[in-house]
Amino acid sequence: MRDEVQRILDAGGRFAAAWASGEQWRAAFTTPDGVRVLSTREPVSIVDLVEAAAWDEREAHDLYGLAFPGHTPLRPLVAHPATGWTTPVSGDGVHEVAVGPIHAGVIESGHFRFHTVGDRVLAMDPRLFYKHRGLERAAEGRAPQDALPYVRRACAACAVANSVAYAHAVEEALGLWPDRSLRVARTLALELERLYNHLHDIGALCAGTGFAPGTMAFAALKERAQRIIARVAGHRFLFGAVAVGTGALSLDDPRETRAELRELRADAAAAWRELEFAASLQARLDDVGVLAREDALRLGTVGPAARASGVREDARTNSPRLWYGQFTPAQPLAETGDVAARLQVRAAELEATCELLDELLAKPVAPGETTARDEPRAIGVGRVECARGATVCAVELHDGKVARVRLRTASYANWPAVAHAAAGCLLPDFPLINKSFELCYACVDR
Amino acid sequence: MFLLLKQLQSVRREAGLSRGPRRSLRVRHVDAGSCNGCEHELGAVSNPFYDLPRFGLDIVASPRHADVLLVTGPVTTRMAGPLRIAYEAMPEPRLVAALGDCALGCNVLGDAAEIVGLEEVLPVDIRIPGCPPTPEQIASALASAAGSAGRGPRSAGRA
Repeated sequence: MRDEVQRILDAGGRFAAAWASGEQWRAAFTTPDGVRVLSTREPVSIVDLVEAAAWDEREAHDLYGLAFPGHTPLRPLVAHPATGWTTPVSGDGVHEVAVGPIHAGVIESGHFRFHTVGDRVLAMDPRLFYKHRGLERAAEGRAPQDALPYVRRACAACAVANSVAYAHAVEEALGLWPDRSLRVARTLALELERLYNHLHDIGALCAGTGFAPGTMAFAALKERAQRIIARVAGHRFLFGAVAVGTGALSLDDPRETRAELRELRADAAAAWRELEFAASLQARLDDVGVLAREDALRLGTVGPAARASGVREDARTNSPRLWYGQFTPAQPLAETGDVAARLQVRAAELEATCELLDELLAKPVAPGETTARDEPRAIGVGRVECARGATVCAVELHDGKVARVRLRTASYANWPAVAHAAAGCLLPDFPLINKSFELCYACVDR
Repeated sequence: MFLLLKQLQSVRREAGLSRGPRRSLRVRHVDAGSCNGCEHELGAVSNPFYDLPRFGLDIVASPRHADVLLVTGPVTTRMAGPLRIAYEAMPEPRLVAALGDCALGCNVLGDAAEIVGLEEVLPVDIRIPGCPPTPEQIASALASAAGSAGRGPRSAGRA
């Protein structure tokens, strides 16, 4: 497998996901010619070639008992040993600061282990999976449509992206292709999800700096977005707006929604201008939590965080199953990879999303259908850009049932980058750095 | 220090102190394995559209300051321990609220081997169903728990 991995990487391929399936260990890569899936019965670590696969290997070790020769130390990730945690840093004057799993607010549960000297963070070890619910295992053995609720349950804030990635994977395995209406309807659902997420995340970053007016203004904008969404989709988080093999979202008369979104867009742009000139906020953002371009590439970082570091990749540029046409990824003013750049990318994407929504809502939206087009295959892989980056879902079908589903979300891809960006920073800046990535825990833990 | 805290825990109950005529409720939230939907909506009740603090309802950082432990998620094996610790740190009398269908054990939860269930860990006093419950439902449930159902929360139901 290692030689093949090296050949794929040399040809410009990028790691997408890896998972255990029965006796097999599989690794998927995106290449210029599409997704390639490698399988082996005797896994050997590829982390020296693909650092981004580190968490996949650690997870498979904990959940499926696989060993990965060459991956040392193979530290626990999903398993929570009572003793025997190895720590990345030790030495004179190094102090450990333990935070979580319960945090001091309405925040998801997860543990951070900081290794500090004074206020300076040497290393941060994210210990997540407190919320591991075994959703993938629970989904297995079910018909594709019946397994969807388990995939959606992984995360409310990414429910549409995860569901669409799953639907794409199943449809690829079944040889189904979406018609234009379905491509439009799913793109609409994805962009509505991105809209409320980006509004939320900009507000959350204001909260990370203690800038209350920004927090409240964007919380109110998010609320307006969710009320619009509830009227369009019947649910504030678009639950039920995605189905497998068919459409589930339609809008006969989009005129009122379009007008409301235009109003929201103008108010969001005005609020963003206020933030740009709020000195007490801006003074906190520059040069904090820097993620260099080469580190973003090495760690497999995706989404706004990668784009803020100068990695101009966006799954929307290559999504033939959706309706993105000639999509251009958003860029920050300067690709500095710091908190400021990540915030700017979100603001730029918010504007792009509003523009897209305006186009999508120019005509009535019909639910759409899929039709048989390709040969069925055993494994399907879907890749969708959620608000945090590219989410990959791999589905293996056997006798019409889901034999294995692996959901590798953008949050899963990006947690190592949060740890990397926090190293070298001041401990009190961590909430701000964390919120500039604004990753889900639920999406990771599953 | 732990002895001092232990003594303080029961002082309010032993003194027969009621929470008084003032309508207030301090809520400590614990995510015990939710999909983050309930967190989003619980966060939303503090936004200017709902403004929960005007009813004397407050989300607090420490369980030692809380009247209510508000639990989301089905309670995973890994969160049962931290959840119990948070509950034990609370002063008495204390209430437990289950927020959302997962905490109530009636949703798509996951693999049975990974889930403990809230009722197995703590006694549940307040039930707020929904997937997720809307901010209106959360606001009105908490406001009535604060004993102000007749007066303050009228606008909560309308908001």
